[in-house]
Amino acid sequence: MTELSRPLTNEGTAQDGAGAPAVLLRLADVSKNYASDGQVVRALAGVSLEVAQGEFVALVGRSGCGKSTLLNLAGAMDFPTAGRVLLDGVATTGLDDVGLTRLRREKVGFIFQSFQLLHTLSVVENVELPLLLAGQARAREIAEERLEWVELDGLSARMPHQLSGGQMQRVGIARALVHSPRLLLADEPTGNLDTTTGNVILELMRRIVRERGTAILMATHSLEAASLSHAVVRMRDGRIEEVVRR
Amino acid sequence: MRRLAIFYRLILRPLVRDPWRTGLMVFAVAVGVAVVLAIELAGDAAAGSFRSSVETLSGNTNLEVTAAGGVPEEVVGRLAGLPYAIEIHPRIEDFAVVGDTGQTLPLIGLDLIAEFNYAHPAVNVQAGDQEDALRDLDDMESVWVGKRLGRKPGEKIRLMMNDHTREYTVRGVFDDEHEGGSVIVMDIAAAQHELGKLGRVDRVLLRVPDEPDLGVWEKRLQEVLPAGVQVRAEGSGREENQRMLAAFRWNLRVLSYVALVVGAFLIYNTISVSVVRRRPEIGIVRALGASRGAVLLAFLGEAACFGFLGALVALPLGRLLAAGAVKLLAATVDALYVSSRPGPTELTATGVVLAFAVGLGVAIVSAMAPAREASRVSPVEAMARGQREYAARVHKWRDLGIAASLAVAAVVSSRMPPIAGTPFFGYVSALLLIGAAAFAIPVLVDGMTRLSSQWLKKLLGVEALLASRSLAGSLRRTSVLVAALATAVAMMTSVGIMVGSFRQTVLRWMNGQLPADLYLRPAEDPAANRHPTIDAELAGKLAKLPGVSSMDKFRGYEISYQGMPATLGGADLTVLHDFDSSDFVSGSDPTKVLEELRRPDTAMVSEPFANKHHVKKGDRIVIPAGERKAVFRVVDVYYDYASEHGVIIVDWATLQKYWPDPAPSSVALYLAPGADLNTVRREVETAAAGTNVVVLLNRDLRAEAMQVFDRTFAITYALEAVAIFVAVMGIAGALLALVIDRRRELGLLRFLGAATGQVRKLILVEAGLLGILANAAGLGVGILLSLILIFVINKQSFGWTIQFHWPVAVLVGGLTFVYVATVLAGLYPARMAVQLNPIEVVHEE
Repeated sequence: MTELSRPLTNEGTAQDGAGAPAVLLRLADVSKNYASDGQVVRALAGVSLEVAQGEFVALVGRSGCGKSTLLNLAGAMDFPTAGRVLLDGVATTGLDDVGLTRLRREKVGFIFQSFQLLHTLSVVENVELPLLLAGQARAREIAEERLEWVELDGLSARMPHQLSGGQMQRVGIARALVHSPRLLLADEPTGNLDTTTGNVILELMRRIVRERGTAILMATHSLEAASLSHAVVRMRDGRIEEVVRR
Repeated sequence: MRRLAIFYRLILRPLVRDPWRTGLMVFAVAVGVAVVLAIELAGDAAAGSFRSSVETLSGNTNLEVTAAGGVPEEVVGRLAGLPYAIEIHPRIEDFAVVGDTGQTLPLIGLDLIAEFNYAHPAVNVQAGDQEDALRDLDDMESVWVGKRLGRKPGEKIRLMMNDHTREYTVRGVFDDEHEGGSVIVMDIAAAQHELGKLGRVDRVLLRVPDEPDLGVWEKRLQEVLPAGVQVRAEGSGREENQRMLAAFRWNLRVLSYVALVVGAFLIYNTISVSVVRRRPEIGIVRALGASRGAVLLAFLGEAACFGFLGALVALPLGRLLAAGAVKLLAATVDALYVSSRPGPTELTATGVVLAFAVGLGVAIVSAMAPAREASRVSPVEAMARGQREYAARVHKWRDLGIAASLAVAAVVSSRMPPIAGTPFFGYVSALLLIGAAAFAIPVLVDGMTRLSSQWLKKLLGVEALLASRSLAGSLRRTSVLVAALATAVAMMTSVGIMVGSFRQTVLRWMNGQLPADLYLRPAEDPAANRHPTIDAELAGKLAKLPGVSSMDKFRGYEISYQGMPATLGGADLTVLHDFDSSDFVSGSDPTKVLEELRRPDTAMVSEPFANKHHVKKGDRIVIPAGERKAVFRVVDVYYDYASEHGVIIVDWATLQKYWPDPAPSSVALYLAPGADLNTVRREVETAAAGTNVVVLLNRDLRAEAMQVFDRTFAITYALEAVAIFVAVMGIAGALLALVIDRRRELGLLRFLGAATGQVRKLILVEAGLLGILANAAGLGVGILLSLILIFVINKQSFGWTIQFHWPVAVLVGGLTFVYVATVLAGLYPARMAVQLNPIEVVHEE
């Protein structure tokens, strides 16, 4: 285990001992290889990382450094080639497709750079979709609550193309929160937004951590975005190069 | 060169990269073209290059002499006495059944002594000295057979003619390679005797000198012949038959194009999708200097690729299908029209040209609209707006307006009269109706998916909501797919209703027409133009059996009326029980009609006859009858579904007056009160022992008639099945395209917590919804189309009045089949959807 891979909770933002927040996400010596045109491409190499409950962690680095791969492994969308990924104590490698789906439904929410709303569904229908897929009751009611929380309560009947970029991303956030996940994974959430709107979204994400106690792991190119997080994990060539705590 | 480069990069390369979808599309076009080709080839073989099977061994003759009921023998003498150098070939043309094989073959009676002198091929093969040969020729028990029958000279052969069987000796075998099938030849005197045609011959073929021309010869000879005998060009009968079969062939031909119409929708859809997918590329090549024309040609070229490859595959496929279709067609032609023998199904140069013309034509025409749309794309718009443009470009209310206009045009067209006996405007009306439906479908799809999405969500879960929204979201694509499948369903529904109605009408008609308990007729296979006879003495004997209360008899002759074949029949009207008032078009009291018909020189005609020849109650019809012309007053028009080419019925006494031959073609026996059916049947069989007469119970005759009916429409069902197959295959291809185009959305669902089973269910529900929408639209259009088929196309083509009937079981079965097939068509695309890697597809952008 490298120094960079030491648990973040040991570096100040979280607390040790009995009062320390529980570790929500643990990547232990994780590697991920892809086959491309017959060649093995190493996307992650021996990465270890822990994210505690209620923590806002930014992953920064150049394109292709492994940020998105790390997010996909953290979100139980993919298996590591080596090492272990534990989400709320559950190892993803031990799960089949059904188990992974259940884990995502219960523990993880995703926010995307290009919002990824379904254009055939209204705003509220987009938000309630994860609950409906999970077969949960009161989906509409909860979706309306989340929209209210992201301050879009008057727009629930609109279609996505009737919204601005910032509004679309807030719908994306409401959708990511709708099933009260313990971990939010955000891939360049402000990448398609102007600075002002991006700042609004970042503030909203800080509010999520603050008020809901949800952990966020955010991949970003923006140093401004990273500066608002509790910790910045700098990545390079599939490895964690540096962890900066505030 | 630049255009070629654009075409290769923009069009060909993606086609090669997507072999499954390209293959499916090519196959869909190929099946559509193959069906058209198969029907054309099979139609040509069974009916087009039509030869009635008795028109064989006609040699190098150029005129023929005919008369209703046969040419009097003295006419042959009169012709022989003329001071012209004419070859005269009198003939008996009938059929015989080979005893040991049951094969029905044409039997030609020739004046063999004369033919020997003319070196007729049938008798010219005689080996040995001339004296022996002449002795054989004169022998009443000698026959000559075609090589294909596989008999050797000296062999015995049992032949059944009319109601009796006799053994003959094969005297010679001749080359029948160019005759379309085997033939039996016997001396004309023997044939006349065996077939009860003493004193007359069926046809006299003439070879007149080349100068003056045939028209002059016709006129010259007609002047010296009796009024009831007609001289015309040899082969006129063939032309008459071709005219008679024209409507049948046209209807079949039109039906064969249905699969192609379905294919056209699918090409339209494929090219539309192609345009949408490549919108950014179009923008780029336009920005780099490609002209609108180059883009238009590139997409038309894509369609042409489908058309060309489809036609290429269609050639062997069509040839193969034709071989199967020709048997069905020949059976129908035999049962409904005339005994014929199908020619070989050959893929001619015309067939190849037809396949490529149809394949390329339908592909290019279907692609025209999306290709034009592609050419109008402005570079900036294309690069900026991307795929959402596809959904935005549906103008559903404008389309509904077009649909209404087309529907009005369809109604107007359906009211127009036929052109030369062809229901041209009926076909136009059907096509306009399909067009109207295609334009109305976007509103239907949009309305139905919107109204039902929440209800579907409750019933089938969130996958149904996503499916219905997705269909509504890609309205144009969905509408085209629904239109394609709906066209096939509409055809299935309309033909199902038409055939079901026709069947029910025939069944109801038979209840009135077949009231007797037992029916007798010679045992050879029944055919529309063959009227073998039963010995008159036997008929008389049967009428006197103790268990028989009365007997109807019928005698038929095949005649030519105003250049079309028709049946002239005589019935014993003193005992005729067959009619009630609903059987007459006028609704008249049958007692009065039959009473009037017993007066001299009156006739009633069947509905198809009346419609074909524009004859109505009170008109007079003229039939050439040997030495004179018979003029009959039409007392009424009766419904008849037994013959398409029309029947004239006169009283038995009237028939005997002009055609004195007491032998009936069939008899119907009514049981005396209290008589036991089986006992009477045994008595009848005993009385008919030694003759080749079949005794049929009422129910047997009905079953036989319905068997012929069902066989007639077997080809129709086969064509419908092909159209549905093409449509379902198109749905599978389109769903595959849909999965590819919506892969980002499907991947996203996995991120949002969808299980693989839910993604699979989503695609299958979409397939199911397409099936339901197509079934609903197809059923509606099909019902309207059935009205056009029954009341316009059928009426104008064949002249039958068909009572509308709902064949509920057939419709429910058909629609269920289509629905299940559509859902099954979603299985492979669903599997593809499940196998998508969500990480790859979501991050593709």
